[in-house]
Amino acid sequence: MPAYLHPTTLAEAFEGLSQGEETRYLAGGTDLIVLLREGVIAPAALMDVKALPELQGITTTEDALEIGAAVSCGQLIASEHVGYGCTLLKQAASTLANPLLRNRATLIGNLCNASPGADMAPASLVLRGVLTTATPGGGRTIELKDFFTGVKRHVLEPNELVTKISFPLTKGRGIYLKKRRIHGHDLAQVGVAGFHDTDGSFRLALGAVATTPLLLDDFGTLSTTELANRREEIVSEAVGAARPISDVRASREYRLAMVRLFTERIVDAFANETEVQR
Amino acid sequence: MSEYHADSQEFRYIGKPVKRNDGPEKVTGTAVYAGDIVLSGMLHARLLTSPYAHARILSIDTLAAEALPGVRAVITGEHGSVKVGIYMQDKSVIATDTVRYQGEIVAAVAADTVEIAREAVSLIKVEYEPLEVLNDVREAVKPDALLLHPHLGTYAHSVGVFFPEPGSNIANHTRIRRGNMEEGFKQADLILENTFEQNQVLHVPLETHVTLVQWGVDDQIKIWSSGQSPFSVRDLFSIAFEIPRANIEVNIPFVGGGFGGKAGIHLEPLVALLSKAAGGRPVKLTPTREEECQTLPCRQGQVARIKTGCTKDGRIVAEQVEILWDAGAYADYGVNIGRASATSACGPYHIPNICVDAKTVYTNHLYGTAYRGFGHPEVFFAVERQRDLMAKELGMDPTEFRLKNLLYPGDETITGELITENTGSPDTCLKRAIELVGADVAYTEAEKAQMAASGKLRGKAAAVLQKAPAMPTWSASSALVQMNEDGSVRISVSGVDYGQGTYTILRQIAAERLKMPIEDVYINKSVITPLSPYDWQTVASRMTSICGMAVMEACDDLIKQIREIGGVALRASHHEVEFDNGEVYVRQNPHYRIAFGKIAMGYVYENGNAIGGPLIGRGKAIAQGLSNLDEHTGQGKAALDWTYGAHAVEIEVELATGDIEVLQMATVIDAGRVMNEQLLHGQIVGGALQGLGCTFSEVLLHDDQGRLLTRNFTDYKIPTFKDMPRTVYTDVVETPQLDGPYGARGAGEHPLISVTATVANALANATGVEFHDLPLSAWRVWTKLQEQKQQEQQQQESQE
Repeated sequence: MPAYLHPTTLAEAFEGLSQGEETRYLAGGTDLIVLLREGVIAPAALMDVKALPELQGITTTEDALEIGAAVSCGQLIASEHVGYGCTLLKQAASTLANPLLRNRATLIGNLCNASPGADMAPASLVLRGVLTTATPGGGRTIELKDFFTGVKRHVLEPNELVTKISFPLTKGRGIYLKKRRIHGHDLAQVGVAGFHDTDGSFRLALGAVATTPLLLDDFGTLSTTELANRREEIVSEAVGAARPISDVRASREYRLAMVRLFTERIVDAFANETEVQR
Repeated sequence: MSEYHADSQEFRYIGKPVKRNDGPEKVTGTAVYAGDIVLSGMLHARLLTSPYAHARILSIDTLAAEALPGVRAVITGEHGSVKVGIYMQDKSVIATDTVRYQGEIVAAVAADTVEIAREAVSLIKVEYEPLEVLNDVREAVKPDALLLHPHLGTYAHSVGVFFPEPGSNIANHTRIRRGNMEEGFKQADLILENTFEQNQVLHVPLETHVTLVQWGVDDQIKIWSSGQSPFSVRDLFSIAFEIPRANIEVNIPFVGGGFGGKAGIHLEPLVALLSKAAGGRPVKLTPTREEECQTLPCRQGQVARIKTGCTKDGRIVAEQVEILWDAGAYADYGVNIGRASATSACGPYHIPNICVDAKTVYTNHLYGTAYRGFGHPEVFFAVERQRDLMAKELGMDPTEFRLKNLLYPGDETITGELITENTGSPDTCLKRAIELVGADVAYTEAEKAQMAASGKLRGKAAAVLQKAPAMPTWSASSALVQMNEDGSVRISVSGVDYGQGTYTILRQIAAERLKMPIEDVYINKSVITPLSPYDWQTVASRMTSICGMAVMEACDDLIKQIREIGGVALRASHHEVEFDNGEVYVRQNPHYRIAFGKIAMGYVYENGNAIGGPLIGRGKAIAQGLSNLDEHTGQGKAALDWTYGAHAVEIEVELATGDIEVLQMATVIDAGRVMNEQLLHGQIVGGALQGLGCTFSEVLLHDDQGRLLTRNFTDYKIPTFKDMPRTVYTDVVETPQLDGPYGARGAGEHPLISVTATVANALANATGVEFHDLPLSAWRVWTKLQEQKQQEQQQQESQE
């Protein structure tokens, strides 16, 4: 059984990290506990970071929305601070697992688990999320687009703790479409997030179709008319970027078709300024 | 307390929405399940299971595990080679020389804590020699297939009921023969043959098979189990270990769901052996969800080939059915599912020439057992798909085709049972279900245009269903109805209410019969074999009908005693004594009454003299009239009663995604007599949703090495409330069953049957895509739609 650590300050947290022994940070635990139970990981200690002040709350600064690492998806969905373009996060969070799990699972935990199909990843990517981390020596910021390196792999150093994620405030419009096997809780067979910013910039992100979530952000700025005109090009780029596998959840062909369909629907909704077809 | 008014209406409690009596405990979490029970000195068990679907066990080294402090027992096949089973004793408690499915138990540990037990399991070293894997029933029945059970011929089984074929992988072969097939097919203008496939499916009870056993001194065995079958556990345990039944106490507390998966005997012998090896300390095993999915049994898979001959005017003249059941590694319970499926293999249709072969086949998959519907949901996917496909070939409306061929009074079933006015009415169910969803109303041109424009095609369909309880001819129930000091009564039965509402219905029956307020009718909510009256098993939708009859007889026995002692107290002959509302009186003088409480434990005169004694009614019922089926023709009395029903649905298929939404669904059951509307509605909705799970997402998938790919809830997807159809209609037909309590027959399993076929038929009507297998998951539907599109394009090109 791993030791359970429950620091209340960052300093205390880093003091608690023992040399040479693996400590895993515990936020919502909805992925970690599954891994522990299956014996996939066997850390010496679990450090519950939910009480650290730096990880708390949802705040809005002049130009950013900041969400702490201890914030659950349920809190995110209920928060009045998450508005305008960032409501895309609420859309995505509402498709994650089920209400019980959303009350435990955190946005940042979902990202740090680095599953290719993580529901919060496509939305956080198109919203240009930036992670802030803390380490005994200080910390850094990491753009989310540079964060994922492979299946369940990311750029964090051992013991580096993500404290929050910041999203530039935007009044643009976001859409997250997720294909799943039942209407209730399920992993994404495919997830596609699209964002059309007020400055015309357009971004897409794909989940569950490659070893990492994919961000496609080289479309430049597009008016609604240009979006409509370049629909096929955008769709082709999305389909071309996807590298899905066939498994028990869906075939490669189906995943590609859903990337195509969802991208079309997202582009159409932005181009025509209509509700997205779900 | 509400009062019973004998003459105010026909029934006071039968058919009324009496509330369940187990709500408060369950809602507050105070209900005690097997997992809640903790005994002094109790040890915890963990299992080592096979990573291979088929392998020889070369060696097992348990020394390190045994040496771990806190470990009290380690057992392997050496200790658990005894075979235990209900119909075909082909499975030993622990794998001995060979493992035949991935997940099969190879060793077990009992230790002071779960953690120690788990660590000990990790220290056991097993050397395997992987063997060739049988992954498909069609391969398994080939003459040169490798034999998974070379000793099949030596396995104990119910002789004359099951027909194993030693030297093959066929654990049972049930044959039904009627008429003359050659003549029958000669009369046919049209012959259609199709093969339908379904993979295995899981039960998914909320509570896993939790088992706690103490093998005490002098072979006194105490078992607490999350089971459906207290007396079958006792019986089969006694046979396997040659211990007198009286030594074995089986306790069944509250049970968190079973769906058939907890019928018969499961982990009790294993945990008992652990307790014995641990010097008689009690041992508890709480299977993990993964073990529930991979080690404990599932619903069998099926490949069914149906060849149907029809006249031009739509009369079925001959039908040949071959069912290969994927029993998995063991076929203990499976052989009876095979037998039952044969008796129902053509559905509720009148067909003069019949040839049915139902074979229960061993493979290296997870082994199968009873599951709600007992083979019928699978059979009816094939039969009711075949009916629609045949109607299409004939150019006939499928409902007209069904109505033309259904069983009507005077017809005989395929096993030769006469259908009477009281058997039930599948045609009425079908017509009613169709009416409820408007399944006979064609879409208008405007609607069709709207569908084409939206890319969402709608389709409707209907199908019938039937099932009879499948059980030994001698399966019986008994009941005690004892009066308490205050004149209230307490029912004791050994049927287990694991959610279906049995105890509420039995209380309704007793309150009705005894003409007393239902609040004064109690029932024991747990079963303890030395104290509770015998019941075969809680299966086959047989509780309301058979256990219900036993309760009625027990009430009648009690009434006789009420009249007798009441007569003495009232100074009247017993035939002059009337009773209601918990009081006795002389018929001609209803104003002078004596409360039941005054006679419950004996009547006491003013001078202290007492007569009578505690009043106890006893009742029993047996599956009267059932016979074994003829080995060669399958003719005989297979069914105690037939419950018929029908579904109709309207679905919407999104062409772009393959998603199917069930817009409306109607289920109509001929329940004989509705005992409790609310409970029946709950059974129908629950069954229909479970059927939709089997339709859309529930499927066990194996890789080419026979390893399970869908081994937990990540990829074994059960529906949730969000997957309910937009509108659900439930309705009933009441054709009274002559030997059912108040005319009732079972209805617990039936709502699940034919759901898959109804939706698949509607899908075909909506899109033209014909599925011969399941599930109808979005990506499989989409894939088939793509194939259809390509074929159409190719045809167009070749025409051009």
